[in-house]
Amino acid sequence: MNRLILLALLFFSIGSISSNDEKIIFNNDAYPFESETKELLFYSLLIELRCPKCQSSNLSGSNSPISNDLKREVYELVLEGNSSEQIKSHLVKRYGNFIIYNPPVEPATYVLWFGPFILVFIASLIILVIRKRVTK
Amino acid sequence: MKKIIDVLPLAIFIGLVVVLFSFLSEKDDQLETVLIDSSFPEFSLKALSDDSRILSKDDISDLPALINVWATWCIACRVEHPFLMKLKEESILKIYGLNYKDDKNKALELLKRDGNPFEFSIYDFEGRLAIDLGVYGAPETFFIDKRGVIRERHVGVIDEKVWETKFAKYLDE
Repeated sequence: MNRLILLALLFFSIGSISSNDEKIIFNNDAYPFESETKELLFYSLLIELRCPKCQSSNLSGSNSPISNDLKREVYELVLEGNSSEQIKSHLVKRYGNFIIYNPPVEPATYVLWFGPFILVFIASLIILVIRKRVTK
Repeated sequence: MKKIIDVLPLAIFIGLVVVLFSFLSEKDDQLETVLIDSSFPEFSLKALSDDSRILSKDDISDLPALINVWATWCIACRVEHPFLMKLKEESILKIYGLNYKDDKNKALELLKRDGNPFEFSIYDFEGRLAIDLGVYGAPETFFIDKRGVIRERHVGVIDEKVWETKFAKYLDE
């Protein structure tokens, strides 16, 4: 039981880090918006999109020149009234799936998506077999 | 059967370690190129050497050609510069430059000092055409075929070997 609670706490702690992230980057005057929905869309995209140069950080967490260019690109696309999906596909067309942290399910990403489940499945099978043997 | 189950976890673990370890040495930080086989993007940007000259896709007219993304802040670009000069001197194909986020005066100075392998250089200070090309650094080189279609892209220094293995084959088409 205690273990379950600990596990739950672990998940919640990850959630709280990301929501802090959003608070930090809000109130930024560099990208003025007239509408709050557009502003929200802009900042949520900066969190979702990945910096092509730095590889392990998102656009909002990076200050590299390419990230700043892409922020400007996203800013302009948001101002033009594009939806989140439109903006993402605009960038995927140029930079590939790399730029979104959420790769689509396709043959090239099957291992990525299903590998962990297969490993868990194999592990549980092994555990089951060994347990059975021990209780015998 | 029992024996297999006993060693299976260890075998899988070792397998994973080997696979993941082999990824470590493979320093592949190159992104996929989505633009292969699509036509070169439209643009409208100033020429590096002449503020009043606005360049567009139609100015890249002598095809097939290389588009080379370069800048003076890019050290690797200086490494490949002699090779680009060689391509020009041997009239192998035309090279068009994309001067990327650079200081204009420094860029012109470098071309004057080390030679200019480019028909012209597009001055992309804001990185606009660069975004449309999916560029994320310099140097990068694109091969544009006779129909104006991007056929190959190379991230990093282009030299004899890269030319032979990646680009030369498109020249004979």
